[in-house]
Amino acid sequence: MARTVTITVDGATIQTAEGSSVLDAALEAGICIPNLCHMPSVSPIGACRVCIVEVVDDGRRKMTASCTLGARDGMVVEAHSETVLRARRHIVELIVAEAPNSRAVQDLAARVGVTRSRYPMRDKHCVLCGRCVRVCDEVWQSKSLGFVGRGGDRHVALPFDKRPDLCKRCNSCVEVCPMTITPCPGPMAVPGICGLCESQTSMVENIPDTCVMCELGRGFQCARWQLRGLLAPA
Amino acid sequence: MELSNVDTILENRGAEPFDIIEVLQDLQGLHGYLPEELLCRVSESFAVPLIEVFRLASFYRAFSLKPRGRHLVTVCLGTACHVRGAPRMLDEVVAQLDVEPGETTEDRAFTLETVNCLGACALGPIVVIDGEYHGDMSPGKLRALLGAVRDGDQAVVASV
Repeated sequence: MARTVTITVDGATIQTAEGSSVLDAALEAGICIPNLCHMPSVSPIGACRVCIVEVVDDGRRKMTASCTLGARDGMVVEAHSETVLRARRHIVELIVAEAPNSRAVQDLAARVGVTRSRYPMRDKHCVLCGRCVRVCDEVWQSKSLGFVGRGGDRHVALPFDKRPDLCKRCNSCVEVCPMTITPCPGPMAVPGICGLCESQTSMVENIPDTCVMCELGRGFQCARWQLRGLLAPA
Repeated sequence: MELSNVDTILENRGAEPFDIIEVLQDLQGLHGYLPEELLCRVSESFAVPLIEVFRLASFYRAFSLKPRGRHLVTVCLGTACHVRGAPRMLDEVVAQLDVEPGETTEDRAFTLETVNCLGACALGPIVVIDGEYHGDMSPGKLRALLGAVRDGDQAVVASV
């Protein structure tokens, strides 16, 4: 039996297994911390930073990604303080500028209440979330693709742009990619944010830290949404 | 590709994954770049996926995945060199060799690269040709220098 620890997220007391991340614990308890690069059963790398939270320790506040933050007994976490919300919106603005053509990214923007991006649209069709790289390595033990280059040139690629023999053609890398989720039938206001999901936006703003299994979760492949089939009674 | 050389290098270096960089450095020194078949061999020899070797080779500026020319011209574009006129040096080399940074001339004589700092800012602007540092450069000096290297290169090519 794994030891349990007690943490506080947005004032709610949560019990979770020792060693689980704060993000997993919060999602499990129904507290919605928006996330993008997180996937159930694949190791977290804290790439997208969308799931940032504030850890309050003896009056000191430190911002960090909750997916790579291990839950410790007595930890106090704020996932929806004004500072966190502001920082999270800023991060999502950056992500939108990188890949405005993604339904997942558009839904994420709607979820956190971003309606415009201050940054020039770079339209790179990749946010370097590393989902494909990790699913290939950890789920399929294949390591066919990975991050290549560094700095602004860092991108996901196959070695020498050729499919290596290790590749099992499972197509998982494509399936988990936030860029490949079927676009909504509405017009995509590209470049920009279409904002047609504003009804959803107001809903999540009214009840900011409660998971209502919103349809947006399907867009940004929220871990809880992915588990919905398993959680919902048949 | 002389595979026997590769075998010697692989034998002389360790077999742990962290020894890969040393092997790549040796191969880079031997061939001037890292050809695809050699990276495949390194990946087999260390029993690591090819992407791991490729990732390392693409990460470090010291490694090149494209064939380099017989002479390497590196122009420093660091802050100190920049304010002392490094962009003019780069323009001069680009005009002389007719290549953009990162490219190699058609006759494989020169490869032009840029670097962000060489740590010898007092000598700026600096141009490194085949490992030799030339400080206090001016477009005129650089033209003469490139001309001398090209003449030497053509003499060597002609004698072969």
